[in-house]
Amino acid sequence: MGLNLCRDVHLWCRSRELVEAGSQSDVTATKSSSSSMSLEGRGFYRPWFARCKGPLAATFKDRGRRRKESLQLDRILLVFVAALALVSCNNDKIEVYSIPKKGVTVAMQNGIAGMPPAPVGNPAKWVKPEGWSEQPLTEMRLGSFKVDGSNATSADVSVTAFPGDAGGLAPNVNRWRGQLQLPPLEEAQLQQTIQRTEVEGVQTCLVDLQTPENAPKPSRILGAVLETPDRTWFVKMTGSPELIESQRQKFLNFVKSFRFTSVTEGQVPEAAGTNMPKSTNDK
Amino acid sequence: MTSELARWLKPITSLKLTIFCLACAMVLVFVGTLDQVHIGVYEAENRYFKSFLLFFTPPHTDVRIPWFPGGYIVGGLLLINLIAAHLARFKLSWKKAGILLLHSGIILLLVGQLFADLFVDLESQMRLDQGQTKDYSESLYHDELAVIDTSDADADHVVSIPDSRLHNGSRIDLPIDALQLVVDDYYPNSALVNLTQLPSPNYPHLRVGPIAAAVQIEKTYKENERNLPSAAVSIFQRGQLIGAWSLAAGFPRPASFQAGGKSYQIVLQPKRFYKPFSIQLLQFRHDRYAGTDIAKNFSSRIRLLDPSKHEDRESLIFMNNPLRYRGYTFYQAGFDNNDTTTVLQVAQNPSWLVPYISCALIVLGMLIQFGMHLVSFVKRRVIA
Repeated sequence: MGLNLCRDVHLWCRSRELVEAGSQSDVTATKSSSSSMSLEGRGFYRPWFARCKGPLAATFKDRGRRRKESLQLDRILLVFVAALALVSCNNDKIEVYSIPKKGVTVAMQNGIAGMPPAPVGNPAKWVKPEGWSEQPLTEMRLGSFKVDGSNATSADVSVTAFPGDAGGLAPNVNRWRGQLQLPPLEEAQLQQTIQRTEVEGVQTCLVDLQTPENAPKPSRILGAVLETPDRTWFVKMTGSPELIESQRQKFLNFVKSFRFTSVTEGQVPEAAGTNMPKSTNDK
Repeated sequence: MTSELARWLKPITSLKLTIFCLACAMVLVFVGTLDQVHIGVYEAENRYFKSFLLFFTPPHTDVRIPWFPGGYIVGGLLLINLIAAHLARFKLSWKKAGILLLHSGIILLLVGQLFADLFVDLESQMRLDQGQTKDYSESLYHDELAVIDTSDADADHVVSIPDSRLHNGSRIDLPIDALQLVVDDYYPNSALVNLTQLPSPNYPHLRVGPIAAAVQIEKTYKENERNLPSAAVSIFQRGQLIGAWSLAAGFPRPASFQAGGKSYQIVLQPKRFYKPFSIQLLQFRHDRYAGTDIAKNFSSRIRLLDPSKHEDRESLIFMNNPLRYRGYTFYQAGFDNNDTTTVLQVAQNPSWLVPYISCALIVLGMLIQFGMHLVSFVKRRVIA
């Protein structure tokens, strides 16, 4: 039975090829006649499975005509795919453009805004004050805390570190001033507003900034800048003036608790991609 | 219609093609939805819907074997099938008005979305500290290697090379001053570590600072994380080495060099999209319900500056109230730095009205078609 099936399939395919070769060479002469003749009449061998009736019969009937249509469809598809491919292959282009020098942005930003974060690995320890809750570390932060006050107010404490002098003390303090809508100060004026101290032999600068009197949303920043040999640490507490005042001593104690440890060799830490800022969709 | 054109159109007017495309679309949506759990929404969108083909890579090989049509082929074929069917069987009559309107709406929707995908890139973000002004936004997913000619007093001339062109050993001829860029090493995603934390001195790394090294890590597809590539590049001018640098997108600090009497900067940074106007953040507000920590409102009061259009005005951007200006839409998306930094989502989609018009046409077409059926049915019942 298997041999008979193979024979039938072979004869069927061979007879189709012969019929199609004959019809293509003399289309005009045989077109009208071939369309009216049955498949067997045109020398088309139809084995038993091609003579079945019902839904399956449609799959075997008149394969020649539908094969021509599918060839046309294949060509149309190829042309379509090629056209779309040509149209859309513009994502790898090198772009050339000019930006005015008087534009408000430059490739290099002042202060730590354009600085690399300190490498992963935290060569410092500190003592968390009572009442401060640890928060998940976000972009560039080595430490993050939240302080809850009365009337649903809260303060945010961040600890960051950047290699070298991190752009300098003045640009960074002026950046904090800008966040409170205070005008920037020259280096000489700034030095008068800074309190200098030492933490474990490390030079530390303390700043206390507050929004102007008529500000719609009063805010205050307590900041500490600690300059170690290889990097500069920034400890910043931001919140309402009343809450900051109540937490002032705790902030100073927190800064004074910093202990800088030596880095030991170890595995390359697992690193995640940079965390994104908070989304307004987060609950 | 000529018989030749009709003969050509006949295969693509087939209803079987419509069924085939719809079935493929169902498979794409199903598989894409399952896979987006692992690779994220953006990557799933690019792989399954903004592509011609889906590829399969056998393990331990780099061979890409196409195994299924992608969204562009399926959607494009559906569009052609619909248009061809109308052309082949077009009969202008009131009875067909509903169908024509409905299908016109679908065609408009497909064409609008195809146009937006192929020709318009993108969403980007503009991050502004309080008081800061910017005239560019940055891509969330793509980076660029920018070579900037800073010798001109009036403007910086930027050559932006997309990260898709950066591979180990890439040689790129820059369209300025016979400069050639050679990528010696490229990490699609990297992490910054202290040099002393490397397992061994020979561990593959790029020295990107006095004490910082970039090491290669797996690409991330998480929603709240971003890939930060690093690269070691060299610049040649007429075959002569100008300099070699290690750059990291994690801290886009430009390196400067001189070539041919001109000064340049080179930086690896998130891809920037400059605008012909600038935006300054005046104030960001994060209002909470009284006595709670529940957010009530996020808003950014900004100043829009456009000297070419003599535009200098303030605007308030808050939830569901974006700023639309010169084809760009600025949405309030996020915040940082204890409510002193705002993050605006910037979308550019000239065809943003098309889905609304399409839906209106579809609804109108359905109302007309079903309305006509209803009227004829009621009339027959009355007669009976």
